Amino acid sequence: MQAPSTSLLLSIEALASGLFLLTALGTVAARQLLTCFHLFVWQSILLSASAALLGLALSSPHLLAVAAITLATKTMLIPWLLRKTVHDEVYRIREIDQVLNIPTSLLLALVLAGVGYVFFVEMLRGIAVPAYALVNLPIGVAVLLLGALTLTVRREAVAQLLALLVAENGVFFAGIAIVPNLPAIAELAAAVDVPVYTLVVGLLTRRIHSELGTTMVGRLTALRED
Amino acid sequence: MLLAAILLVPVCMSLVVLVSPLRRWAGWLTVLAMAATLALAAAAVQATLGSGAVSGAAGWLVCDGLGALIVVLVAFVAFTAAVYSNGYLRRRASHALSDDGGSYYPLFNIFVASMLAVPLMANVALLWVALELTTLLSAFLVGFESTPEALEAAWKYAILTTLGAIIALLGVLILYWGTRIAGEQAFTWNELIAAAPAMPPSLVWPAFLLILIGFGTKVGLVPMHTWLPDAHSQAPSPICALLSGVEVATALYVILRLFAVLNRVPGSEAGPWFIVFGVLSVGVATILMVQVRDYKRMFAFSTVEHMGIILLAVGIGSVDARFAAAYQITAHALAKSFCFFAAGLIVLALGEQRIAAVKGLGRRAPVAAVPFLAGALAITGMPPSAVFASELLILKAGLARGQYLVVGFLALFIVIGFAAIMRHATRMTFGKEVDMAEAPVGRPWSAGAAPAACLTALVITAIPLVALGLCMPAGLAGLLNLAGTAMGR
Amino acid sequence: MLVHIGYNLLQVAVVIGFAPLVEGVLARLKELVQSKRGPSIFQPYRDLAKLLCKDEIVSRRSSWIFRTAPYVAFTAPVFVALLIPVLTRYPLFFAFMGDMLGVGFVLAFGGFFVALAAVDSGNPYGPMGASRTRMVGFLTEPVFLIVFMIISLVAGSTIPYIVQSEWIRSPAAFFAPWHVLLVIAFLLLILAEDGRLPVDSASGHFELAMIEKSKSLEYSGRGAALMKWGGAMKLFVLMVVFLNVLVTPWGLAGPADTSLAGVLLAVPLVLLKMLIFLVVLVVIESSLAKLRLFRISEFTGAAFVIAVVAMVSRLFAA
Repeated sequence: MQAPSTSLLLSIEALASGLFLLTALGTVAARQLLTCFHLFVWQSILLSASAALLGLALSSPHLLAVAAITLATKTMLIPWLLRKTVHDEVYRIREIDQVLNIPTSLLLALVLAGVGYVFFVEMLRGIAVPAYALVNLPIGVAVLLLGALTLTVRREAVAQLLALLVAENGVFFAGIAIVPNLPAIAELAAAVDVPVYTLVVGLLTRRIHSELGTTMVGRLTALRED
Repeated sequence: MLLAAILLVPVCMSLVVLVSPLRRWAGWLTVLAMAATLALAAAAVQATLGSGAVSGAAGWLVCDGLGALIVVLVAFVAFTAAVYSNGYLRRRASHALSDDGGSYYPLFNIFVASMLAVPLMANVALLWVALELTTLLSAFLVGFESTPEALEAAWKYAILTTLGAIIALLGVLILYWGTRIAGEQAFTWNELIAAAPAMPPSLVWPAFLLILIGFGTKVGLVPMHTWLPDAHSQAPSPICALLSGVEVATALYVILRLFAVLNRVPGSEAGPWFIVFGVLSVGVATILMVQVRDYKRMFAFSTVEHMGIILLAVGIGSVDARFAAAYQITAHALAKSFCFFAAGLIVLALGEQRIAAVKGLGRRAPVAAVPFLAGALAITGMPPSAVFASELLILKAGLARGQYLVVGFLALFIVIGFAAIMRHATRMTFGKEVDMAEAPVGRPWSAGAAPAACLTALVITAIPLVALGLCMPAGLAGLLNLAGTAMGR
Repeated sequence: MLVHIGYNLLQVAVVIGFAPLVEGVLARLKELVQSKRGPSIFQPYRDLAKLLCKDEIVSRRSSWIFRTAPYVAFTAPVFVALLIPVLTRYPLFFAFMGDMLGVGFVLAFGGFFVALAAVDSGNPYGPMGASRTRMVGFLTEPVFLIVFMIISLVAGSTIPYIVQSEWIRSPAAFFAPWHVLLVIAFLLLILAEDGRLPVDSASGHFELAMIEKSKSLEYSGRGAALMKWGGAMKLFVLMVVFLNVLVTPWGLAGPADTSLAGVLLAVPLVLLKMLIFLVVLVVIESSLAKLRLFRISEFTGAAFVIAVVAMVSRLFAA
């Protein structure tokens, strides 16, 4: 039997997971790049909070480390990197250019998130799984799918990068619940990987902007089968 | 120590060539580093042949048959690509490159190091990191020429393969969860195989599908292949050789490893998945090859085709088939790097990638036309190319397992692929040029004009490509056997 | 039982009495956020008193609908106040007269009458506002139904009192992810339904852009007072449903203590909760710009998506 404080921590973690999913839905619906960016930061804070709560509830120092690393990389380092590499893109481009309109992409998001969520809940039925994994894994999967969808429908470079980061957050969100004790070196390596790809994609965006004068990567269609 | 050295040499060299006084000799220093890496890789193969598997760096690095095969192929192609770069880049830099190429060799070295790290990492989570780094470190190499097309290709490459890697990460994490549930502690391939019988199938299958989709994106499996023809046609030719010859194979390596794991999970059969995805990739790629208008793009589609063939071969499931798959990986790495080196010569000669614009190549640049035709013949499986031998082995293994339908499809698509590539290649070589004005000057681009380094790289690649088609040295046979064992027990 | 009837009427009195105060606090908070002083929080009472003393002018062209609409608009929230847990957690005399759907129907009836009256008034802005309100209504009603459906899945009932006690009974359900989503969806619905930003600007004075306010432009004197008061009460009861039933089911008079003192003690607590909510509302209203009319469907679409996700995660929760 869990101590009441543990169950309370886990309850609050479940609450955070609801908000986490909400921020992902927000990035699908957000029309402005800056909103997307803020939603990503909030989402990372929620991810970090969730890891910290799970870490306290399961008394796992690994998860507390993950929480600290997430907070440091995703709410400080990545925004800083983005500002350094694509600063004016984030602020100047007010509205995002989309392949689909927002209601359609929201409906698609709904179907995708629903299917992913249900599939994984059903998948976990036969296995003895802790309750928090049952919450986090399906929600992580849903967020991964939402990120992938956002990536597909957005034409703007920075928006695509943010979608990638959101998808990555989803995977981490699932990860903290199912593998609370990944070797520390792997955690650290994964934590390094995210800033590196932010940097690489950010620099690539800058290169594209300076060479082609646009960051609408979705409008680049020189390469295709004809 | 040996395994750590394999990684450390290129990493150190990438730092060395950053130092400004040494930058002038960066190309040849890189060749030196790659030669050293190749020697170390050969030593690792020796050690693996002796003991079955070697490990190093306190157990963080490990090398068994499959790993050793990939390592030595990466090292070999990296070596030839480094030699080739010296000729290619200097010639290309004069008119097509916006920057002086200062970032090329550091990136080249570290990119090779990341590819070498993939088969050497013992921990699967770290392997994921290494595989993701191969994308990130090569993204700038893909967009190196800074044309709109190259940048578009680099963008698609970076974004789509990173998304794939993120999807695969979830699969990797679920697999790790499965090993924990099964009671194993570490997260290495051996532990994973040991844990497989006790893992809940309902965890393993979603994990496998996530990894298949995720890393399949990086391999270029249909339908996740859309970025591959772009990136592999727009990068500088030596980088194309690395990307198409070995980088996709490092990603495929992970999927092939899973075959052994999946078949030990109770009540599951991985073969059909491999065969379906394999046939799909082979079929779609060969059919798309018929209508390409860019010869580098044609070879890129051929990569998709060959990845499908390898996947299918492993899916057949017999020992012979796995041996043949390992053979095919080897043959493809050699043949495809040769093809891109040859294609690079055409780019140097005529500055054009459109098939229509290089007609009459035989007259306009015979020194580029000969290797190109040879490469086209080699990659489509004409004897005495090694590709012929390996594809024959795969078809035989399929027939031996009674997979007549699969073998039939495979043979059909290989023939379509052959017809498609040869049609383009003959048109390019012997066709009548539409507009002679596109040729640089009146006189043909002769042997003297081709950079010696490029020709050297072609020769170095051609020797094993033909030799392995004619005979199978005992050492290689042993390595391929070990590699086949690693893919399924 | 008589006591319960008494408490029920007390609830009504609280709703009628404090609704203008809520309006006043909201207006004051908004001004404070913009670093202005703003009017006194009792200004709405003065406005109401002033309007009630004034003569009423009614267009000769209008029919009885125009004249009765203010009374309907005023009484609809009063009826609702009988059905919902304003002050007590235990069901009062009229609690089982209607569920949350009933609450919706009563409010919609009031809204429908006001829309009819707006068309009846002959003022060109009235019908425009009425049609826009109907458009928002069409978009929000399906979401309301989904929200109520999830609630009924959880509590096995849509009677507000029973729903409210369900959250208290099982904290796991209260903290569940879908509950958060439900709350957010409902919040978006309140914003849309009550004509708040980003759907409609409640404090705007530009007739062409109005949705909610343009329907009462033609009223004067007592009619205007009743419309204003009714509008304030509508916000009040929506907040009560949101706060007392969905978000913070605490702070009400419990079944253990049924004395009048306990019930009266709940009044300041409920008002405190409302104050917190108003602060949130002001933050939302001052940080968002009004949406273009045709983007309202995106806003309600977002609410719809959130509600459906909540439903899916509730249905498939293991």
